[in-house]
Amino acid sequence: MSPNPIGNRVEQLAQSLAEHIVPLIVDAIDIDSILDKVDVEKIIERVDVDKIVERVDVQKIIDRVDVEQIIERVDINAIVNKIDIDSLVEQTELGSIIARSTTGVLTEVLDVIRAQGVGLDDFILRWGNRLIGRGKKVRDWPAGPPLLVGPRAIAPT
Amino acid sequence: MTTVPVPSPALTVGRQGNYAGAVSRLAAFAADVGASWGLYTLGVALLNAALKLATGHSFTLSNHQVAAFIVLTFWEFLYFTYQWAVSGKTLGMAILGLQVVTREGAPISGRQAVFRTVGLGITLFLTVGIGFLGIVYQRDRRALNDYIAGTAVVYDWDARAARLRWIARKEGPAGAAAPQEHTV
Repeated sequence: MSPNPIGNRVEQLAQSLAEHIVPLIVDAIDIDSILDKVDVEKIIERVDVDKIVERVDVQKIIDRVDVEQIIERVDINAIVNKIDIDSLVEQTELGSIIARSTTGVLTEVLDVIRAQGVGLDDFILRWGNRLIGRGKKVRDWPAGPPLLVGPRAIAPT
Repeated sequence: MTTVPVPSPALTVGRQGNYAGAVSRLAAFAADVGASWGLYTLGVALLNAALKLATGHSFTLSNHQVAAFIVLTFWEFLYFTYQWAVSGKTLGMAILGLQVVTREGAPISGRQAVFRTVGLGITLFLTVGIGFLGIVYQRDRRALNDYIAGTAVVYDWDARAARLRWIARKEGPAGAAAPQEHTV
């Protein structure tokens, strides 16, 4: 604020005038028509992006990024669950690598025996209970112990 | 020769930790009976050979029925109890990918292993196998010996790896023509 009382009043008058006039001027200006007249492409052409990039200290930006915090925010399990591993194995060399490194005759036989065993287990469970008239009840039975499958998991039918 | 298509994830990956069914458990038990009997026969043959070598006299355990029964009972008790206490699975169960756990799904104790073996004898001989019907008709697929020991049996094989191997076999080795089905 000015120490001179006259100067102070003039300053206040100028300020109130500006408060009234500036909105009127702004309203009168058609910004869209001005922008239409501006050749943005020409401006972009004149901008030397390389020079801007040269001025930017990328290393400084990288140093300021907290990678740990980003990783903590990412739900890796959700990402992994989204990956279709079956098609990944089918469509890449990964399948043959796994086959060459892990497949022996014994594992092959065991895989077949175990998977067929599971299928037969289901069959016996389903039909055994259907025979005594409670085939539908089996659907509500728990799939496994609570610590291994969770308390609400239900047996597959 | 049988042709087996790749099983669905529901039959493999989705079953880890689920209660095991009657067929898998029966097959595992049959494998255990075979393995324990084979080991017993081998042990008796070695004992006979050692005695003959040391004393010059031939000794056949099967000629002494009471002694043979006691030794066999003790051996079977040791076979099942030791394996369940150490790893929660017998040889047959390892082949079929099964695991004995507590009712809640935790590893079993040595005490539970002992009770389970005694319970197995009771279920087999005192109930003439009727005690096994619980595997099909009980909510948590537990036989009488499971109730005696407070245990349950679950699928425990690495089904995810098995499925990947399966798909990989279907794809075939690099550069080879891919067969559509897995052949055993």
